[in-house]
Amino acid sequence: MDIGAPETEREIEVTPQEEPVPTPAPAENPAEDPVPA
Amino acid sequence: MSDATTEPIVGWRLWHVRRHEDAYRLESFTWHHVSWPARRRFEARCSTHGGAAPVQGHECGIYAFTTRQLAEDLLRRYTGVRQHYGRRNNELPPLRLGCPIALGRVSLWGRVVARENGFRAQYAYPYELFLIGGDDDLARELRCLYAVDVSAG
Repeated sequence: MDIGAPETEREIEVTPQEEPVPTPAPAENPAEDPVPA
Repeated sequence: MSDATTEPIVGWRLWHVRRHEDAYRLESFTWHHVSWPARRRFEARCSTHGGAAPVQGHECGIYAFTTRQLAEDLLRRYTGVRQHYGRRNNELPPLRLGCPIALGRVSLWGRVVARENGFRAQYAYPYELFLIGGDDDLARELRCLYAVDVSAG
């Protein structure tokens, strides 16, 4: 992949507060106990 | 002296989409059989510099372009058709049946080396994918696996 001339290089330190990687959504608790009383 | 930021850089790149045993996965476009993990970052490795990639003055790291146009130009070169394929200049070339490709945006972070047309990064994860040569079922499968937006072209 030709991204340009090496002479144009500059370094950037990227430190996100949260990594941009999706995490699984937490399982929702049912509003009511599905087991009949 | 390097610049510093807290916002991930978003670039454009291509992936092959290949089946690995039980599921389709994104694969590096230029390194065969290097698949991108789902739900965790992809980390650059270099045979010379190991986990220190990308190193300035070298060619290691995870690559991405600055624009969609540059990624599409690579796709045109890859498929071996002339630069301006089709009736309209921005029409993309056809692919071999069963060999889908993903064009998309990618988040880059960690140490990032920027050049005029793109980046080499330490860490990356797909941000949004557009399938070329894939159908809605494949888009759904990749969307579930990588948990990012995927649309079939």
